[in-house]
Amino acid sequence: MTQTLKSTRFGDVELADEAIVDFPSGLIGLQGRRYALLPHGKDGVFVWLHSMDDPDLALPLTKPWSFFPRYEVELSDSEAERIGVSDPSEAEVFVTVRAAEEAENFSANLRAPIIISGGRGFQVINDADDAPVRAPLFAQPVG
Amino acid sequence: MLMMTRRAGQKIVLGDDITIEVVEVAGNTVRLGVTAPRSVPVYREEIWTAVRAENEAAAAATQLPEPPAPGPQRAA
Repeated sequence: MTQTLKSTRFGDVELADEAIVDFPSGLIGLQGRRYALLPHGKDGVFVWLHSMDDPDLALPLTKPWSFFPRYEVELSDSEAERIGVSDPSEAEVFVTVRAAEEAENFSANLRAPIIISGGRGFQVINDADDAPVRAPLFAQPVG
Repeated sequence: MLMMTRRAGQKIVLGDDITIEVVEVAGNTVRLGVTAPRSVPVYREEIWTAVRAENEAAAAATQLPEPPAPGPQRAA
């Protein structure tokens, strides 16, 4: 019914089985396929995508539209077929966050969003034109 | 690294279920067709490398702003 997530950041966290997300293809370049979403702070702007199998592996995520209102995700037919989600608006969409000492140096990867639906997660390649891998989170580019 | 010479229309096979075909060669551009099981993601290498680097950089974070700074929707 519950599983224990072991974390070097947060200690032991008890999670319901339903909270665990299976990434059949893992995350690009990272190991493991079982992850869980842990809320960060009270306002829910950030969540941690935490490995169930590696206590040290966790990535901060955020929902892109609170920072990038015009953000779009376009999937190729083969990518949509692979993940079984043709319309990303029907799934939960997150982007990874690169943290930094200074808030203005925080960035999000708009090119490779993470799409979670029905207990399964995929990191996909976004074919939309305006989707840099390092989009400033707090300092919007001018123009 | 295994090296092979292929002409347009010829293929290589990886394992039993991945096929890569040279569709067209024009100047210094090669057009490839990849046939793979649906579950196998296929990436352009430079995108895969860039995303892996971002994932690793994201995973290096130990703490986040508390409370997080608001986004651009903040009223001026």
